[in-house]
Amino acid sequence: MAIEGADIIKAAAFLGAGLSMGLGAIGPGVGEGMVAAKACEAIGKNPNEAGLLTRTMLVGQAVSESTGIYSLVIALLLLFVV
Amino acid sequence: MGELGRIHQLVFPLFGHTAAINLEVVVMTWIVMAALIVFGYLSARKRDILPRPIQVVGELFVGQLYGLTEDALDKEGARTYGPLIVALFLFLLFSNWLGIIPHLEEPTKDLNTPLSLGLMGFAIAHYAGIRSKGFKAYASEYFAPIFFMMPLNVIGELAKIVSISFRLFGNIMGGSIIILVVSYLTYNLVLPPFLYAFFGLFVGTIQAFVFTMLTVVYISVQVK
Amino acid sequence: MGLGAVGAAIGEGYTAAQANLAVSRNSDISGDIFKNMLVGQAVAESASIFALVIAILLLFLDVPGVSYLKAAALFGAGICMGFGAIGSGIGSGFPGGQTCTGISRQPAVSSRLTTNMLIGSAVCQTPAIFSMVVALILMFMDFGQAPLQPTWAALVGAGLSTGLAAIGSGYGGGLAAGASCEGVARQPETTGQVTTTMLVGQAVAQTPSIFGLLVSFILLFRSFPESSSLAAAMALLAAGISTGFGGIGPGIGNGMAAEGGVRWVSRNVEKAGELMRIMLVGQAVSQSTAIYAMVVSLVLIFVV
Repeated sequence: MAIEGADIIKAAAFLGAGLSMGLGAIGPGVGEGMVAAKACEAIGKNPNEAGLLTRTMLVGQAVSESTGIYSLVIALLLLFVV
Repeated sequence: MGELGRIHQLVFPLFGHTAAINLEVVVMTWIVMAALIVFGYLSARKRDILPRPIQVVGELFVGQLYGLTEDALDKEGARTYGPLIVALFLFLLFSNWLGIIPHLEEPTKDLNTPLSLGLMGFAIAHYAGIRSKGFKAYASEYFAPIFFMMPLNVIGELAKIVSISFRLFGNIMGGSIIILVVSYLTYNLVLPPFLYAFFGLFVGTIQAFVFTMLTVVYISVQVK
Repeated sequence: MGLGAVGAAIGEGYTAAQANLAVSRNSDISGDIFKNMLVGQAVAESASIFALVIAILLLFLDVPGVSYLKAAALFGAGICMGFGAIGSGIGSGFPGGQTCTGISRQPAVSSRLTTNMLIGSAVCQTPAIFSMVVALILMFMDFGQAPLQPTWAALVGAGLSTGLAAIGSGYGGGLAAGASCEGVARQPETTGQVTTTMLVGQAVAQTPSIFGLLVSFILLFRSFPESSSLAAAMALLAAGISTGFGGIGPGIGNGMAAEGGVRWVSRNVEKAGELMRIMLVGQAVSQSTAIYAMVVSLVLIFVV
């Protein structure tokens, strides 16, 4: 089995893409879960503001998801560009 | 085991490319649509102050989902988008439940169905956003907080289509593969009825609801 | 097995610690608490028992015709079950511990608490069962003449995908079950709604491990053309790694959301509908990174 330079680079890029998305998904997943838990708490305490709280939760989650999206972008770049 | 991932396709040439139609999915979608039309007809026929059971079921769905839409949008929004939301939920519910009947398969098992529904929701949400805010305010949101975040904001929006459709696809496909593999391992002895109840009824209902709720939420985020 | 034991040990330790705390608070009914602790620990241990079964099978399996491919499959099976048992082991500890605390507070509802604990921790075990299914398939499937070069990576990847993804879902399901036991102890009259919310929350928190299973099955049952390049093998391995690690965070996060939802359903039961809805939306959004990870895996398998 002849392993050449280009092959190693390709292999490393694939492995890197998997690691990037895999590890990058951990943080946002936990973080957004915390946001959702706190939103449930807030609605439990103050149900009248449910609409506002839902929107706030979604905005907060969207922001904390951005690192997950960066990982996705990096993974796709590694897959298709490198 | 050979059944895994096998699909019947109708392939025909179209303007120099080849277009493929997944026959089974189309037929299953027709069955769902037919079932929905029958359900709608039965529940709306002979409406009465003293409703018959099927009318109660119909009213329950419509009332609950209108309530949900009203919470997320408002009264006016509920009147505009309510019918869409009710239709979407019922379609997904019937689709996810269809696999319980032998020889029938969930149309949502094919990625194309959730993907097109996701695209539909995305297009409607953004159309609603442009209509309620005006194009300028809509477009300027992409340049927040700073202008060079624009590509990432666009990817973030597009990722929503991916996440909403792959969630439904992954759950339904995963469920049916688990049922297939486990019934193969246990020679169809014990588990399948229980698994069908869990993945078909329970997970199917939850995922149909989640998909519908997320569509409402995407619309409401764009509108407000 | 080693890894599986870690999780089960943490879970059982948590249960025992909570039981001691509970006994010190209310020593009159220590017998009830002790009984409950044992039941809770037995359930938490079942994850490590699965791991033990797989480990013993691995040790004594009579492999006909030793090949590198079979070795890769057995390695994958070991990883899969080992990682897969961690989450469920820790997770099942939470409901056990909360039940012990709950019995000391409200001895009258101990039977209802035990039922709730058993339902909750049984659902927690689902990811460990998924891992066991994958491990058994890896061990007993006949890979026949499949080419060694990319297939070994597919087999190890299949093990990693389900095994790692099961950690998050098992742990998350445990958080939800723990909160529900706490809730039942506080407000026994809300048991029905609390259990329903818990089951819905756990079912959604299971999604990352279902994604892991989906990717594993694709890796297991798809036949890959022989290739001598390293890249083809690494793509399949990376597919497993991506979905596997990607499932951990969202699984835990979904569990936290479910925990919050269940806790507040028990405190404010009139708003159960609204809470369930926001819990589902929150969970759905926090799942999206697991979905991106699955998409990357599918691209790695089918496109690259």
